[in-house]
Amino acid sequence: MPDDNIWSENLISIIEEFQDCFDSMERYELLFDYAKMHPSPLPPDEWKESNKIVGCQSRAHVDCNLDSNGNFMLRGGADAQIVQGLMSITAIAVNGMTPGSVLKMTPNYAEKMGIQSSLTPSRANGFLNMFRRVQEEAKNLME
Amino acid sequence: MALNLQQIRSDFPILERKLPNGKQLVYFDNAATSQKPKCVINAMTDYYEQYNSNAHRANHTLADEATTALEEARKNIANFFGTSPSQLIYTSGATEAINLVAFSWAREHLSKNDIVVLTEMEHHADIVPWQQLSKEIGIEVRYVPIDTNTFTLDMEAFSVAIIDASLVCVVHTSNVLGVRNPVEEIIRQSQEVGAKVLLDCAQGAPHEKIDFDSLGADFIAISAHKMAGPTGIGCLLVKENIMSKMSPFMTGGSMIKTVTTHGSTFQDGHALFETGTPRIAEAIGWGAAVEWLNQFEMKEIHSHVHGIASWTAREMQKIPGIKVYGDPERSDSSGAVSFLHETIQSLDLALLLDEGGFAVRTGHHCAQPLMDALNVPSTNRASFWIYNTMEEAKSFIKHLSYIVERFS
Repeated sequence: MPDDNIWSENLISIIEEFQDCFDSMERYELLFDYAKMHPSPLPPDEWKESNKIVGCQSRAHVDCNLDSNGNFMLRGGADAQIVQGLMSITAIAVNGMTPGSVLKMTPNYAEKMGIQSSLTPSRANGFLNMFRRVQEEAKNLME
Repeated sequence: MALNLQQIRSDFPILERKLPNGKQLVYFDNAATSQKPKCVINAMTDYYEQYNSNAHRANHTLADEATTALEEARKNIANFFGTSPSQLIYTSGATEAINLVAFSWAREHLSKNDIVVLTEMEHHADIVPWQQLSKEIGIEVRYVPIDTNTFTLDMEAFSVAIIDASLVCVVHTSNVLGVRNPVEEIIRQSQEVGAKVLLDCAQGAPHEKIDFDSLGADFIAISAHKMAGPTGIGCLLVKENIMSKMSPFMTGGSMIKTVTTHGSTFQDGHALFETGTPRIAEAIGWGAAVEWLNQFEMKEIHSHVHGIASWTAREMQKIPGIKVYGDPERSDSSGAVSFLHETIQSLDLALLLDEGGFAVRTGHHCAQPLMDALNVPSTNRASFWIYNTMEEAKSFIKHLSYIVERFS
């Protein structure tokens, strides 16, 4: 799997945690837990039109920057727990990477986690829009 | 007489399907679109396989058969809605029907400061065309509020709003609340002050007998796909004496009598508004749908759907944290039940319901002014129709209770 090469150990262990779930409801329960453990949350008072993810049925916002070491830092917030959970896992995955490595990632870790319903663009539930936005921000930060 | 649900369900092949996760589909998104019986699918397939041809334009056998089928469908659909085929203009759906009134009738008969009355319950399809017209020619748009305790139109405010109005546009049945508005009273009061009346019956038509001639509205907009027909077709029912004073808003083939390099002359009646190749397969499919519906009394359908909707709403309200928007207990409410949980966000709830096989809708339902009035950004909505069963409703309540217990 080429993507495994750029996945952090943290992300690989999260994927394994999801794969160990008994059924889809347990996976969603775990996702709800991750929603509460966002490593770099964006509080609602910082949710602005400029950081809003367009095309998401729930409210979702991301703010991407480089930390003092020049590494990528994703802060995010969403009112839907499923989106927030995926955002939290994405932050765990990308925080500390170089923007170039973020650009090389593909969003198939959600599929590997078994969160199938979050992957179809027509669901408009935010994950893919969020992922694309994060990569756009990473590209901007490289320039 | 009770509906034979086993027989009815056997007409809808899609109800047998399982979702990718292996769960049996339970389709509760009927206010968005209904499923289609085999006879509708077969009628459209038969047209494409046996007599596909452009209508109205040739003297060969296939064209004759296509034309006959198209016009036969118009006759049957008009008859279903209690009127004559001459008062039925095929459109792409209720949205285009309302736009047809805005573009063809209103642009010609309304001018600056004329008043168009809408309600907070309207679908965007019955709001945006009037806002656009307001921008273009300066009409005044007034909104009748809803009473957020009863989820009904404030009829006192309505009586005031219609003073000096030229047009009153009201949704027959709310796609969000399932509330059926007092359309008879609305028509009476509006016409008393000299206003024309446009009813959006997209949600009303699948639930009760819409009799255009008896109701007396000037315009009625309907979509086929919410009443067992195909997508892409609907109609505007319009009184002949009004239609004769309307100009086309689309021009081209079919709607002309003659075209020379100096100018054109136009057809009369509904043909004037049906330019281009008609939606032949769709009209034939809709004709088959009304024929299928004709085997039932609309009252039987309503009673069945209302029974499931009111039971579900009652049971939902026993689940901690669930609030229902609308009043499904009212005997004239439709099968739409909007609800929210106090802590589980609507999108999360919809995805968790989908995991159980339940198709419900989430969002603002193209009724953002109503969402504003209710002070919510979105709702979940389960909406029932003729083929849904109490067993499905019971399994839905069970799954919803499970979700709330596990995720709230």
